[in-house]
Amino acid sequence: MKGWKKVTTAGLVTMMAVTMVGCSSNNTADNNKSTDTGSKDEKVKLVFARGKDTTAASNHIVEEFNKTHPNIQVELREMPSDTGQSHDQYVTMFSAKSSEIDVFDLDVIWPAEFAQAGYLLPLDRFIQQDSINMNDYIQGAVQAGNFNGQQWTMPKFIDTGLLFYRTDLVKEVPKTWDDLIAQAKATKGQGGTQFGYLMQAKQYEGLVCNFVEFAAAYGGKILDDKGQVVINNPGTVKGLKKMIEVVKSDFVPSNITTFTETESATAFQEGQSAFIRNWPYQFAAANDTKQSKIAGKVALAPLPAGDAGSAATLGGWLSGINKNSKHPKEAWEFLKYLTGKEGQKITAVDGGSAPTLLPEYDDADVQKASPLFANKDFVNGISKAVPRPTSPQYPKISDIMQIEISKAIAGQETAEEAVQNMDAKMKEVVK
Amino acid sequence: MAKSKRRMSEKQAGYLMVFPALLIILVIAIWPVVRSFWISLYDVRLNDPTKSQIHSAYGIDMERYANGLPLLKSNIANEKKQVEAPAAGELDAVLQSVLAVDKELNQDPKFTDRYTQVDDLLNNMQPVPDDVKFLDAEQVQAQKLKDTLQDAEKKVLALSNDKQLKTENVLGIVRGLEGSVIEPNFVGLAYYKQYLTDSRMWASLGNTVLFTVLSVVCELVLGLWIAVLINKQFIGRGLVRAAVLIPWAIPTVISALMWKFMYDGQNGILAHVFWKIGLISDPGVLLTTKWGAMFSTIFADVWKTTPFMALLLFAGLQTIPESLYEAAEVDGATKRQQFFRITLPMLKTSILVALLFRTLDAFRVFDLVYVLTGGGPANSTETISIYAYKTMFAQMNFGAGSALSVLVFLCVALISMGYIKILGADLIGENSGK
Repeated sequence: MKGWKKVTTAGLVTMMAVTMVGCSSNNTADNNKSTDTGSKDEKVKLVFARGKDTTAASNHIVEEFNKTHPNIQVELREMPSDTGQSHDQYVTMFSAKSSEIDVFDLDVIWPAEFAQAGYLLPLDRFIQQDSINMNDYIQGAVQAGNFNGQQWTMPKFIDTGLLFYRTDLVKEVPKTWDDLIAQAKATKGQGGTQFGYLMQAKQYEGLVCNFVEFAAAYGGKILDDKGQVVINNPGTVKGLKKMIEVVKSDFVPSNITTFTETESATAFQEGQSAFIRNWPYQFAAANDTKQSKIAGKVALAPLPAGDAGSAATLGGWLSGINKNSKHPKEAWEFLKYLTGKEGQKITAVDGGSAPTLLPEYDDADVQKASPLFANKDFVNGISKAVPRPTSPQYPKISDIMQIEISKAIAGQETAEEAVQNMDAKMKEVVK
Repeated sequence: MAKSKRRMSEKQAGYLMVFPALLIILVIAIWPVVRSFWISLYDVRLNDPTKSQIHSAYGIDMERYANGLPLLKSNIANEKKQVEAPAAGELDAVLQSVLAVDKELNQDPKFTDRYTQVDDLLNNMQPVPDDVKFLDAEQVQAQKLKDTLQDAEKKVLALSNDKQLKTENVLGIVRGLEGSVIEPNFVGLAYYKQYLTDSRMWASLGNTVLFTVLSVVCELVLGLWIAVLINKQFIGRGLVRAAVLIPWAIPTVISALMWKFMYDGQNGILAHVFWKIGLISDPGVLLTTKWGAMFSTIFADVWKTTPFMALLLFAGLQTIPESLYEAAEVDGATKRQQFFRITLPMLKTSILVALLFRTLDAFRVFDLVYVLTGGGPANSTETISIYAYKTMFAQMNFGAGSALSVLVFLCVALISMGYIKILGADLIGENSGK
């Protein structure tokens, strides 16, 4: 640790020094350049970073953009699929005032924190200049990128937990968690499957999403509208117990506690299970014959219900501009394309993710891309959706939940103990 | 007199010659530790604009201020058009109170100059350098600005709660402006006090010690065995000596990923083999249970660093004169006696040096655990380095994270002092004997 710290500190310091010197000397040069870039037709290089994309959408968007914008050349850089790891890499980069990335995707829970830390360029001026109508977007997603009265990100797509199943194995879609458990047991082993159900249970952000769904289905609540901790209630305990039952059952892989989206999607697409809980992109990925053995045999449904109905975590991704980007104007051009009509259409058609731009749902190609997008109930549902609360303290809350839920599903403590511990520790953070 | 003068200069010349080396040591070894300690005394958090740096005095973040003030004006003007008369009047009063303080601040020409400078930079979309960004202020002034803004926040919040406002923008901007008031964030030794009673810190320290002791003991035994083996004469010895080093030569992150695939509960070959021979009850337990995960990490570490241990001990073995063994042979000592009576005592210094290196290395373990388990399941393999990393980079809490790294440094320093004491006594003993 000592050595590592030393190296990083030294590295950070030199990096900072270099970039700072670089910045200050470059600025004047850049200014002179930017005044005559138009005439010289010099290509501006941008780097666009996002988490691992298992669909072809990101590459497609970048290709299309580069074709239609000859003076800008965008390069795609993939970050880890574990959102926590991506987060940490961004923090390292941006706190060193690095300009290596220009545009990047943010998980719906980051904007408040990143805006506070000064990593993001406020977008209000651009939005005004190009008179973009923010009312065309899903309001919850716009709000997620709004912090202290300023707009820091543009909404890219909305994510919601869904149940995907194999049409060749499942006759009747399970309505409740108990139905699902029964069917998962019954279908295990049929049609070459080894498991009945797949989810995400590694100690990371995805575990929190899975937990919140179980808890909410049984009437549990984590934070109330005012942001106060109310996690210690019977619904949460019941939901967690159901989650433990599923994780400990023999119809999920025995190492389910190492699964993120990537592992579970791979197993599903290899035809190893009849059911999976995943984000909307799973539909496009599972129907892609290049990577899936079960193309054409997949359908989706809302997650099963508990005592209090069905509940899905609302996530989603936003895009923003690095404050230290050397080419903010060009970065905005790309951001506008990415989250505008053209970009969102590609994300929906190629990536299977739900657009945040409401007019997209009237587009015939988008409606064809996933049964979700043509479904009025789904569109109405998500257009009213409110994503997880934005708080600069979120990483700490999430860390607490990850540890305690992980302990509970590993059998190190009971559901009651886990909920009590979460309650006590979260109250220390959210005062 | 003249003699002593010459001596002095000789001494000075000596110092002058070691000076560059001292400077390098100071810069690359001591300065980061001192700096870490320094940061650990402050409440530094990147996700809080008023605490994003070490601040020992009151001040104003001009970038935030110059960004927020015009926004506040335009948003209040906007909002006033949309709301009822009483609310509009209140908003106006809020704006006036803030502007009054602004006027007071502007009586200081330094403030006005700096404001213009920062505003120009912002208008040209240029980054504001840190030395321009922060302006020192009197405590009274900073406090007054803060009080006014807090008061304004309360008023706007009340309006917003009464549903008298159309948007939340004004509230947000006032809160953002509050972030421009900088207060000293010195907390002294509070973090150390907090960590010494933190059960998670002790648990991670326990994991670290467990990992260190078990892996280093295994490596010592295996390393010694391999060293003795490759010290023997046999055909292909050169090849074996080179091949032994391969695990050590692979970057840890790569080999950790490799092990992760092999331990995988579905497709991992090693998990499958262990399960088939009955070592584990299910292929999944390797990475999903506390002891499985701990065993997996130690096993991978032993595989990786035993060659290093073997190499150090092998170097030590080569310095033992052959004549000692010949004499023992003549005296009729068995191979076993030779090993315990000659090899081990002669190898003592090498073993201690190797142990010192490995213990310190193992204590700071990060990359292997980070890739293999990420500290899970349920934090059961979280080492203290991982904890510090999470505190610093996942929660952006640099002050607390620095305190943790200083604690690691202290542990490491204690361990090395212990070793050096044994080792030093040994070396001195040897020297005086000669």
